[in-house]
Amino acid sequence: MAKVQVLNVAVLDNPSPFGNPFQFEITFECMEDLAEDLEWKIIYVGSAESEEYDQILDSVLVGPVPAGRHMFVFQADAPNTGLIPESDAVGVTVVLITCTYRSQEFIRIGYYVNNEYTDPELRENPPIKPDYTQLQRNILASNPRVTRFHINWEGCAERMEDSENVDPSSNSMLPPSCLPGKAPPLGVLPDNSMDCL
Amino acid sequence: MLCKPIFSVDIHPDGTKFATGGQGEDSGKVMIWNMAPVLREEDEKNENIPKMLCQMDNHLACVNCVRWSNNGLYLASGGDDKLVMVWRRAAFIGPSTVFGSSSKLANVEQWRCVTILRNHTGDVMDVAWSPHDVWLASCSVDNTIVIWNARKFPEMVTTLRGHTGLVKGLTWDPVGKYIASQADDHSLKVWRTVDWQMEANITKPFSECGGTTHVLRLSWSPDGQYLVSAHAMNNSGPTAQIVERDGWKTNMDFVGHRKAVTVVKFNPKIFKKKQKNGSSPKPSCPYCCCAVGSKDRSLSVWLTSLKRPLVVIHDLFDKSIMDISWTLTGLGMLVCSMDGTVAYLDFSLDELGDPLNEEEKNSIHQNIYGKSLAITSTEAQLSTTIIENPEVLKYQQERQNSAQANSGPGGAAPESSAPKLNSVMNGESLEDIRKNLLKKQVETRTADGRRRITPLCIAQLDTGDFSPALFNSVPILPSGSSMSSQLTPQLSSDSIVYMALGFLIPAFTCLSHYLRSSVKSSLLLTSASKIEPMKALDSRFTERSKATPGVTAAISSTAGLTPLDRPKDGVTAQKEAKTKEETSSDSEDKMAAINKNLTFGKRKPELLLDGGEVVEKRKKGRPRKDKMAASMAQPFTQPSKVVAPPAPVAVLKLPTPSTQKAFSLQVSMEPSVFLEVENEVSMVAGSKLSQLRCSRDGRDWNTLLPSSVVVAAGSSDILAVACEDRMLSVFSSCGRRLLPAIQLGTPASALHCSAHYVMVLTAGATLSVWSVFSYMVRNTTECADFRSCLPSHDTPASSGPLAVMQGRNLNAGRLASRLSSTPHHMQQSMTLAFLENQLASALTLQSAQEYRYWLLIYARFLVNEGSEYRLRELCKELLGPVHKSAATSWEPTTLGLRKRELLREVLPVIGENLRFQRLFTEYQDQLELLRNK
Repeated sequence: MAKVQVLNVAVLDNPSPFGNPFQFEITFECMEDLAEDLEWKIIYVGSAESEEYDQILDSVLVGPVPAGRHMFVFQADAPNTGLIPESDAVGVTVVLITCTYRSQEFIRIGYYVNNEYTDPELRENPPIKPDYTQLQRNILASNPRVTRFHINWEGCAERMEDSENVDPSSNSMLPPSCLPGKAPPLGVLPDNSMDCL
Repeated sequence: MLCKPIFSVDIHPDGTKFATGGQGEDSGKVMIWNMAPVLREEDEKNENIPKMLCQMDNHLACVNCVRWSNNGLYLASGGDDKLVMVWRRAAFIGPSTVFGSSSKLANVEQWRCVTILRNHTGDVMDVAWSPHDVWLASCSVDNTIVIWNARKFPEMVTTLRGHTGLVKGLTWDPVGKYIASQADDHSLKVWRTVDWQMEANITKPFSECGGTTHVLRLSWSPDGQYLVSAHAMNNSGPTAQIVERDGWKTNMDFVGHRKAVTVVKFNPKIFKKKQKNGSSPKPSCPYCCCAVGSKDRSLSVWLTSLKRPLVVIHDLFDKSIMDISWTLTGLGMLVCSMDGTVAYLDFSLDELGDPLNEEEKNSIHQNIYGKSLAITSTEAQLSTTIIENPEVLKYQQERQNSAQANSGPGGAAPESSAPKLNSVMNGESLEDIRKNLLKKQVETRTADGRRRITPLCIAQLDTGDFSPALFNSVPILPSGSSMSSQLTPQLSSDSIVYMALGFLIPAFTCLSHYLRSSVKSSLLLTSASKIEPMKALDSRFTERSKATPGVTAAISSTAGLTPLDRPKDGVTAQKEAKTKEETSSDSEDKMAAINKNLTFGKRKPELLLDGGEVVEKRKKGRPRKDKMAASMAQPFTQPSKVVAPPAPVAVLKLPTPSTQKAFSLQVSMEPSVFLEVENEVSMVAGSKLSQLRCSRDGRDWNTLLPSSVVVAAGSSDILAVACEDRMLSVFSSCGRRLLPAIQLGTPASALHCSAHYVMVLTAGATLSVWSVFSYMVRNTTECADFRSCLPSHDTPASSGPLAVMQGRNLNAGRLASRLSSTPHHMQQSMTLAFLENQLASALTLQSAQEYRYWLLIYARFLVNEGSEYRLRELCKELLGPVHKSAATSWEPTTLGLRKRELLREVLPVIGENLRFQRLFTEYQDQLELLRNK
């Protein structure tokens, strides 16, 4: 089972001007002392169209992590506006927080982000070239989307694949859709793809 | 709707909730449900009453079994991920949303995994808590059964090996003497808990068993007399085999299912026939009730008093029945199936009969096994038994606290690594901490220039002392700007609700009325804000980053953290202790051997003298200060004038009564005391045991002696018996051994008791009189060869002269294992006799420390076995007269120990069993009274 459970993420300084750093206060619980650090990342999705516009805003190591409840604030600079397609600057996009242990991602927390002009006039007639100084970033903090992945907490990524394929005995009795350890297929996500605990 | 299979269901002992275990989306799933909406339709319709209380998807693979501990504090779950997890409700109260879940599925109760038990190398199929929650057993497809120490997780007690196939079911004997397991290897095995060896291997009813079932959940009847197996075959028809406790006979079975029986579950209650109004009360035998579930999707319910099933329900489910759980009241039952549903069945008293109350059930246990399950049952009734004394409450709480402290690794593991909450907080409020967290947190750079944050530890793993508010997703910024977005309807993930919960069955007949599944229609994200998420964006939430460009290189491992290796340390420490013990017992053996030679050497001349001399030995109220030497010398210096002059041994030989198989006599009219002797009732470890039973004003007690009783006598105060081996034993009116066994020089010819004097005339024409209360003991005492079956797993070794003398004999266990074949009431009597003998011997040897040690064990045994009379007599003796009077012969000290101090030590032990709270209060008050004087 997962040794680390994220209990809460509070979005600080929200809403805020587009250029402000992102601040997430993350509370997590660890079942057992961790031998290695956790690695947290904030990824800003520059465009819904393609992953190539993703920006890793920052990555931090968090440790040492003994058993217990812990919290920290993860602050990262605002995205580089030069890397965002102009057509995608205003409107809805996504910011992701991921955490990996021994290079294996075990949780992904996503928020919708709405970037819009505060000035009603700009809102009516947005400039062709986005004016980032006038943009406000609003993270939909109340609606995090949390996806958890099973990883091998004891070993590294290669061995994990094996451990995910265990479970020979019960499979024979389960409908094929119940195969454990398979993430839902891309694109055809049912609403329940969100892992609730 | 395709439902995920539910493999296990278990109702909480308090009946307010139940747990299910099964397959989740991509993991195993344990869910805790509210019972109220199942039982009452109005609760089901009331939206304020939650249906689901908590869900845990921590198991990596399908959960095969969930079981509540008998005290209701813990839930154990076992799954295909080879793990057993033990859950406990987190201390902080009130619902809190789980991060990332929609509000509807918020966990109302917080259950956290307090320990993970890793040992099995294959899927865990069944778990079972022992009576009293002393052990937790788990069985697995790795062919083994592991017994865990439930008071000290994750300590393992033992691994039971012997099955040659997948072990798929476990059940404890309600008396706690056995555990039974059933496996795919066509066998059902019964294991003893005293030495964890196999007691019986039953194969015949299973030899024909072809095919396989996912589980083989067998069950033991609440009276302990019958064990009923899952899948067995009789004349190529599937059955549930009934195995009798007596000789493990397999003469009966439950027949009728068309496919293999997967689960058998006895009703926890014992019933008796309901008395109909007007009909004459007929005495009827109590009977048990048993539910049988099968792969044929049907359920049958049997009463052991009926030859045919009480009821059979066909096609209850679409797929095989997997588990059954009765409510503690015995009138309700939950059944779960592979088809992903759970059904609730409701019975009436007319259908099942009148359930016996706990007291009646205990008396049945008492009659069969000589043991009441008093402590368990008081625990179960704790909520209903009123604690009348604050002191008792204190001891009860202490007991619970220590039980809690001992269980779960949470208490021990994080203490060094995680500072306590208050030390972190330093008087600061959590809000303050949160405001300054960014500034305060320690951030460093690693060698390769990466940011590294040291997280702030805000709580130990297992404390509940933190504000739940912290964990609700409320941003601390006071600006109300984002409040609107909080109203956004949240994505529903209700389709994980794979359980049917929308049913209420008022009577037994309308069983088919239950809903397949109450999957709620998902609410779509309607835009309260202007956000309209795009599908492309949605996919980003769940897609795992394969290789995120940038800084995914190597993660440097941190040096500052060394994982604690506690269990290992513990093991080595234990080993050391063991080797120490072994060496010391070796040397004790030698010493004991030497000692024996010495005592034998001394005894011989003494016996010769004894035989030729007439001895009077009486002195009432003799001062206790007398050393043993003095009391031993005395008889020889006081020849009596009454009887004949000294004569040589060989010359005088008085007739001795012959040994009878059994006899009885009335020793006193007022109060009426009857004595019954039965010789050679059982053979244990090469010695024949005889039983002495006494009935005094309707109260019975009995004890065992290692030799045949030749003569017996009694007065209103004491009882004495002389045995073939020339041992004289003296008991109090309540059956407490008053003196260590006294070795007579020659066999007893006549025996007489009057008040508290015992007179013995031996075949060698010696007349001896003992005043019991002066504790004058002349002869070498022989420590009786009883073996204790003490429930103590951690008996601290007491050292002293007694231990040295018995060093060789006292390696309990070995002989105790032989005892396990004797019925429980025999074991109980033997233990009692042994303990009393230890006490008396310690007294004779003037070993104060050992006396105190055995006294406390004796008291604990009496408390556990619910032996009130003896307990009361013990307290009375320790307390002495409250008011001073000249006539009393009571001594305030024994062996230099103040008796009332001893009583003070005994009382907390008594306070642990609520049954004795009146006794506790009575003596506590008197002690207080005396102290104030």
